[in-house]
Amino acid sequence: MSEAQHPSLVVDGLTTAFRVEGRWYDAIRDVSFSVAKNETLALVGESGCGKSITALSIMGLVPKANGRITAGRVLLDGRDLVPLDETEMEKIRGNAISMIFQEPMTSLNPVLPIGFQVAEALRYHTALAGEAARARALALLEHVKIPSAARRFDDYPHQFSGGMRQRVMIAIALACSPQIILADEPTTALDVTIQAQVLALLAELKSETGMAMIFITHNLGVVASIADRVAVMYAGDLIEIAPVEELFEHPMHPYTEALLSSIPRVDRDAGDLKPIAGQVPPITAMPSGCRYADRCPLRVPRCTKMPPLVALAVDPKHRVRCWVRAAEESANA
Amino acid sequence: MLIYIVKRLLVAVPTLLAVLTVVFFFVRIAPGDPTFIILGDQASQQAIAAVHHELGLDRPMLVQYLDFMSTVLQGDLGNSLVTHRPIWNEVANVLPYTIELTLSALFIGVVLGLPLGIAAARHRNETLDYAARIFSLLGLSFPAFVSAIMLLLAFAIELHWFPVISEARTGDPLSRVSALVLPAVNLGLIMVAYVMRVARSSMLGVLGEDYIRTARSKGVPARVVIWRHALGNALIPVVTVVGLYLGVLIGNSVLTEIVFNRPGLGKLIVNSLNQRDYTMLEGLMVIYAFIIVIVNLLTDLTYGLVDPRVRQR
Repeated sequence: MSEAQHPSLVVDGLTTAFRVEGRWYDAIRDVSFSVAKNETLALVGESGCGKSITALSIMGLVPKANGRITAGRVLLDGRDLVPLDETEMEKIRGNAISMIFQEPMTSLNPVLPIGFQVAEALRYHTALAGEAARARALALLEHVKIPSAARRFDDYPHQFSGGMRQRVMIAIALACSPQIILADEPTTALDVTIQAQVLALLAELKSETGMAMIFITHNLGVVASIADRVAVMYAGDLIEIAPVEELFEHPMHPYTEALLSSIPRVDRDAGDLKPIAGQVPPITAMPSGCRYADRCPLRVPRCTKMPPLVALAVDPKHRVRCWVRAAEESANA
Repeated sequence: MLIYIVKRLLVAVPTLLAVLTVVFFFVRIAPGDPTFIILGDQASQQAIAAVHHELGLDRPMLVQYLDFMSTVLQGDLGNSLVTHRPIWNEVANVLPYTIELTLSALFIGVVLGLPLGIAAARHRNETLDYAARIFSLLGLSFPAFVSAIMLLLAFAIELHWFPVISEARTGDPLSRVSALVLPAVNLGLIMVAYVMRVARSSMLGVLGEDYIRTARSKGVPARVVIWRHALGNALIPVVTVVGLYLGVLIGNSVLTEIVFNRPGLGKLIVNSLNQRDYTMLEGLMVIYAFIIVIVNLLTDLTYGLVDPRVRQR
């Protein structure tokens, strides 16, 4: 369960720009991480920090009209996906990599039966067709525990609850046994009890298939229960990445520290909550250096330059993008 | 689906009854007395009273109304004041021409308008999109009779491809089709403009939906995403516009039938107006109302075909 294993997916220096009022701005910059087979990497950060854009960039689904990948590589088993054209990406999407989206209520096509929508993934990536595809799709729906799946195979999405629709989405994502699955806040829109069921289902399916998973969330409680490693993003930068216990016990980046101490806890007074002062800068006014500098208590003049993501000497699996903390740590080591 | 159809049919019944009521009182309120048409304005009081009695106009309004409703509901629209022939016969003579004109215009509108709208949405803000939008604006701004005259000038008078005066009442199918082309294109181009506009904007909306992203994330080829995943949803507003516009189309067919000198319901209406044929007008209004109710019913049933959520209601 570590990077030492052969990585399934390597993201290297990924930078994606969006056009705002005629000018291009980096929505994510220099994002690098890898995920191994059987591993779950959680990608955390507040809304708008670039988590979803990272996932869409990996999938090649950045809207072409106003977005594009400007640098970096996405290596799937050593093959770079970034230069591939649409036809080649169609062969990979839903096959080797698949994705589960945040909104189960709007992510299924309202005018197509759910069984058809599951079978469709098989049709374009496997030799299965007709009755065979139907049988396999039914097995998938049963596998994700849709009650009386055979009877409901030809029902439409509006006849299903949010939790059931998310199960259908999971069945679609799993259809072709992908090497890696990107789950973009798959439980955020669901009730808490349903959330727990869906999380348990995902964990169970992952351990059965041995696939890698990138789990995007802003919920640190979910991170603790599902992730092997955690990558923290802030304003489009990946600022810290570490195994899950390490990150919770020894957060290095000042933003990660602040994030962890802003979680409400039952055993503490609400007065002890420390909200982070200030705001995330808008994409049109991002500093070229560390993007957290304006809100950071540790700020030094050097922070106007972008810090590199540095592996800590005490634990090379723990990497942080901060001039001050990287320097402190190497002085202590 | 069967329950849905029955429900829609039941709703159509009171609509139709209301329309008949409005037509009845509308004609009674309208100025003018049909007896003058029959007898001329020099007629004696006795003669007028006699005709009133013959037509039943001296009876109380409510009795007249119930009488009108019961005869119409039995399918009897009465006789023309001018020709004294049954109105049904007059209508049945020309109805096929109006139907063939309207349906071919509708066909042209959908077959050209839908792919054009989809292509414009896929190539938003590119040359194709601009060209399609300019064309549709032209189509919407041209009155039907102006475009009819221009088509006649170009293709009938200059190029001699089609007859100037449509000899539609002919047994020869080829000359019947050739007489249909220009009028159908004239109405059809306006339909293309409407369908294209709404198809484009509804397609643009649908292409931004989450389920389109889901389809792409499954690796569904772009062509299939457009024609199966997007079109199924984008069709709903298109069906609405086609349904609504069929009413306008019937109105525009009046002008088109006159410019191309085609037989049809529109021509019949104008002739009855000129001859103050009140009973004929009453009958035609009932028939038009009936057609509109049927079109609305068909539109609603089409919704049911397109959208599974409607079927369930």
